[in-house]
Amino acid sequence: MTSALTMDFPAGFQVGVQTSNNRGFTPEEIASRCADKIVSVSDTSHPAIREQAKAFKDQIEKVLAFYMREAVKSDRTTVYNALMDAGHPELAKMIRNL
Amino acid sequence: MCTSFKTELLQAVHNFTNGTGDTFKLALYTNSASFTAATTAYTATNEVVGTGYTAGGGTLTNVTPTSSGTTAFADFADLTFSTATITARGAMIYNDTAAGDPSVVILDFGADKTSTAGDFTIVFPAADATNAIIRIA
Repeated sequence: MTSALTMDFPAGFQVGVQTSNNRGFTPEEIASRCADKIVSVSDTSHPAIREQAKAFKDQIEKVLAFYMREAVKSDRTTVYNALMDAGHPELAKMIRNL
Repeated sequence: MCTSFKTELLQAVHNFTNGTGDTFKLALYTNSASFTAATTAYTATNEVVGTGYTAGGGTLTNVTPTSSGTTAFADFADLTFSTATITARGAMIYNDTAAGDPSVVILDFGADKTSTAGDFTIVFPAADATNAIIRIA
């Protein structure tokens, strides 16, 4: 009448780890991770559905990357002005030229 | 998945609700650590030491438990240790609110993962019935 509850990892399960050296992640790298969270499709789903989901995911990823770059640029403007206001014009210039 | 965690679920020890639930943390470990399903609580032994990492690990952002079909699940947002110079082979998620810091799950990265003056990010699976890190089916 009843099924046993199951709550163990499937074989081969591994949590993902992404690392970077001497830099942070790029907007494209983060956008890819974000798109993975927004769109997921089962390996066993119909090929047509899978292709459609992949196309949608690719498009979402491009939009996310664009707006992340915009956010980075806008934040640098904020940091630039904060440094200028604090009397650090050379440091502000460095931030603006990144 | 720690066996003690399964028991503790039935004892209402853990609350994964975002905002009002318990605080869960993720601690990183070197390849000298040896954990099994019998592991019951956080330990500082063989925990990672390095720039950008504090003993005890980072605080996770809970995804409030929900269900899809007949599967209930909980998940966490990705966790980043910024500007970090560390090497880790695995991690432990544990409940920092509950007495004794009981462990939830041990994560094996499969190999040593290293960041040098960069970002070290734990990427959790999508929060759905087939991928979420904690599922009851």
